[in-house]
Amino acid sequence: MVRIIGIEKCIGGLAIALCTTACSLNPSPEPMRQIQIQQNWAIKPGDRIADHFVVAGLGDISIRLGGDTAYAPFAGRVQPNSSECVLFSSPDVPAYLFRLCGLSKPNLGEVQAGEAIGSGDYLYFATLRKQPDGTWTIVEPAKDILERILKSP
Amino acid sequence: MSDLESDPPILKVLLLLGLVLVGFALMVDVRRVSWGNFMGNSLKSSRPTETCQGEIRGDIVLSREKLAAFLTISERDPKSRVQEILPQSYCQLPTIEVRAGVVSEREVYPLAFDPHTWLIVLYEGEEYAGYQFRFQAPE
Repeated sequence: MVRIIGIEKCIGGLAIALCTTACSLNPSPEPMRQIQIQQNWAIKPGDRIADHFVVAGLGDISIRLGGDTAYAPFAGRVQPNSSECVLFSSPDVPAYLFRLCGLSKPNLGEVQAGEAIGSGDYLYFATLRKQPDGTWTIVEPAKDILERILKSP
Repeated sequence: MSDLESDPPILKVLLLLGLVLVGFALMVDVRRVSWGNFMGNSLKSSRPTETCQGEIRGDIVLSREKLAAFLTISERDPKSRVQEILPQSYCQLPTIEVRAGVVSEREVYPLAFDPHTWLIVLYEGEEYAGYQFRFQAPE
């Protein structure tokens, strides 16, 4: 019995050590990125109306993904913007940000060109162009970028 | 008297808690590794990275002084203002269309003091739109 209890103590110590190691190995979560959009619409993505989330707003293109995947159009970074939206930025496309809403469990952090960002039933997509005052304005996206996002590489 | 009898109940509870925690930690870790493998094998890129097209001028690099002068230029200023400071680029990336109906040109300038870092400048027509730094992995 004395020996069994000794083993229990060893397992307990090992458990705590392993837990500490496992917790410290987890990467830090990608920080939320908030941006100021020049067009100050009254109803925006992330708002709630009658206990329902607003997923897209004026300026978003709605695409029926039907469970398909949205891919990174260039090498870049995916950052959370709200509970429903992520922002994609790339050093290859200065002055622009892409906002993708409606994807479930998005792949946050650094991504390669063509790597999956996430999938969902619908994608709500906006292109944002940087303004001299540091705000971002919603512009009409080109088909070329949408094709890169929707076509499997 | 054995250890079982001499150990206070709180120690047993702590041991049990430790086991539960390690079980949870291992589950989290396994999920992370599995997801990483899944992403690595199934969803990684096969799309090429953006590379120079056309002429490459290997002698063009950007000094600290020129970079500092360039950073004073505001987005939407004329392209000619940028070109007064940066008359020639190292190379051009392929033209793209980000905004409907507008072709974007991208010029590349490696930094003299850090050649693995590229300054990428984007123009739309005769307008300077913005810049970004791209960090190249050493070959």
